Amino acid sequence: MLEKAKVSFFLAGRSITRGNKGITIFTVFVLTLIFLQLVLFSSMLAGVTLKFNELMVDFQTGNVVVEPKEEERYIEGASALQKKIESLPQVVGTSARLKTSGNFRYKEKEMGATVYGIDPGDETFVTGLEDAVISGEFLSRPDRGEVILGREVSGGYGALMESRSLGGVEVGDTVELTISGKTREFRVKGIYSTLFFMADAGAYISRADMEEMLGVEDLDLAHEIAVKTTEGTDEYETRTALLSLGIRENIRTWHEFAGILRLIENTLGLVRNIMNAIGLLIAFVIIFVVIYVNIVNKKRQIGVQKAIGIEQNVIVLSFVLQAMLYAGTGVILGYCFMRFGLAPYTVAHPVQIPLGEMSLKFDDAEAINRAVLLFLASIVGSVIPAYKLAEKDLLDLIWGK
Amino acid sequence: MGNGMQTETEKEVGKEFEKEFEKIGTENIADRKKEAGAEIEMKTPPEKTGDVIIEGIDIVRTFRMGEVQVRALRGVSVKILHGEFIAIMGPSGSGKTTLLNQLGLLDTPNSGKVIINGIDTSLMSDKEKGKFRLHNLGYVFQDYALLPELNASENVYISLMMQGRSKAEYESAAAEILAAVGLGDRLAQLPSKMSGGQQQRVSIARALAHKPIILFADEPCANLDSQTSKEVLDLFKKFNKEYGQTIVMVTHEDWHAAYTDRVIRLKDGMLE
Ligand SMILES: Nc1ncnc2c1ncn2[C@@H]1O[C@H](COP(=O)(O)OP(=O)(O)OP(=O)(O)O)[C@@H](O)[C@H]1O
Ligand SMILES: [Mg+2]
Repeated sequence: MLEKAKVSFFLAGRSITRGNKGITIFTVFVLTLIFLQLVLFSSMLAGVTLKFNELMVDFQTGNVVVEPKEEERYIEGASALQKKIESLPQVVGTSARLKTSGNFRYKEKEMGATVYGIDPGDETFVTGLEDAVISGEFLSRPDRGEVILGREVSGGYGALMESRSLGGVEVGDTVELTISGKTREFRVKGIYSTLFFMADAGAYISRADMEEMLGVEDLDLAHEIAVKTTEGTDEYETRTALLSLGIRENIRTWHEFAGILRLIENTLGLVRNIMNAIGLLIAFVIIFVVIYVNIVNKKRQIGVQKAIGIEQNVIVLSFVLQAMLYAGTGVILGYCFMRFGLAPYTVAHPVQIPLGEMSLKFDDAEAINRAVLLFLASIVGSVIPAYKLAEKDLLDLIWGK
Repeated sequence: MGNGMQTETEKEVGKEFEKEFEKIGTENIADRKKEAGAEIEMKTPPEKTGDVIIEGIDIVRTFRMGEVQVRALRGVSVKILHGEFIAIMGPSGSGKTTLLNQLGLLDTPNSGKVIINGIDTSLMSDKEKGKFRLHNLGYVFQDYALLPELNASENVYISLMMQGRSKAEYESAAAEILAAVGLGDRLAQLPSKMSGGQQQRVSIARALAHKPIILFADEPCANLDSQTSKEVLDLFKKFNKEYGQTIVMVTHEDWHAAYTDRVIRLKDGMLE
């Protein structure tokens, strides 16, 4: 058995080293491309998801969000709770927010948006909103009657849903805001864009203004406290730490807010699986064709091998081994290209997508999975033509046309 | 598989081997005997010179080409003795190649039998025939049919490798036989870098490397000039005379046939 395999290895090796280099290079090149095709979409999807998550943490939720206890509308004693949370070493900052839906009106246009009442100083420690202001300025502590609008609310600035927006509000304009029946005028102080449309469909006013509109002045209430931790802190550990501080409020990590993202991810995942299946099928067909053409050219050789007594299985295996080597080389080249070429390149030079800047996220486990599938495709794609040909009648192989 | 062929005990076969290699005188008999156990099922013991080594009985081979039936062989019976150098001659299309292919187990007759060394090969499966060819038969084709990706030495030892011989064994055997055909200095040369005569000599070396009981050659000199043809035929003659190699050769040329002991003439698929 082993001796027979040795003959297969020998024939395959000679065929590769002494055979047509052009065909070898072409085959490996095609397999490299197929591998790239198989991993590229996954990497893009992973990159986009990562970007989504980053944006959400950076501009909306922070790492952990504390919410009111069950059945309650507000967190009470918000500033005391903030102090308590900030006593944890891994906490960078907290922002107590009042959050409600409001209705904006500008000239003839109207639109609903989530409005946050914040302490601008605190918010700066948690989210990057201040840096996301693209026109005007961010709120400052004593500001009253001023509002910061996301670009999806203001319109303009490349908003994705321009038609829903207020249609081009500029800094300095006055908009009407209605919250739970109360209407007040606000001057637009700034417009921000995070490129993350969920965050960009919001508006920020000072907590004092919000308290007044909700009729909860000086009660030290909040709808949520967003908590930002130091880089690399595990969210679940933070939650445990918060729980051990005796906090009774609801504590949720940003992951739990990523529900809609997960939905998108799953949908794209389905697309990815379909693309993978198609990719593998194409891989299989290409391998089949390349190996087939390669083998048909060697019809006579196969006949001679059979005539002098080389076993059919040995001949088939020699072709399968070649295909495996081609696939292996293609996978390794493709892997190196992604791992050390394209993925790092997109990290250094991110690609612009509507969502912002995106880099490829190359996952080793997934790459191995694709490599195995490609390998299997190459085995099947070579066994079939090799077997079919080697099985033919000797006279056909040697003297047939 | 092949149990039907194992008609003798290992010991007897071992003795037979010894006889053969005394005759051939180029191999280490003790080594071969050790292996005889493994090879026994296929390597048939040779007979003494003068015994019938291969017999074709009433061979019929018909090819179907669409609607038309071509009766290439219409009941041919031949007997070839051990140590004979035979020429098969006849006009083009008379069935020479077809007969050689039947005798050489490269094809299967529609009816009739080929008996080699007393073994009825019509009872063998394709796989068994393959194994039988590997161990017992050698072929030289008109166009050499060397494997282009293997060098001279590799072309020669590939079948020994397939037999499961050790590297040292098959390499030295290849070197030895290539030296015997006058290519001792070209072991590593690829077929594409050799002349037709050299390639044909490699192919003869390949056919003889495993010491087949019969060597089949289909117009081995058809592509060679007369000087080179003469060299090749001299080689055949040498192996036939010095080692008692049985050779069956198809040829068109009377002067080729002059090298042989006996001519089998075919015409329209029948013996003349
Ligand atoms: N595989 C095949 N299919 C169909 N017909 C065949 C096949 N092989 C041989 N024949 C036919 O059988 C007959 C005998 O052919 P064969 O090749 O044995 O002749 P040959 O004596 O070797 O001729 P040549 O001297 O031209 O080589 C011819 O008529 C040939 O056309
Ligand atoms: Mg012929």
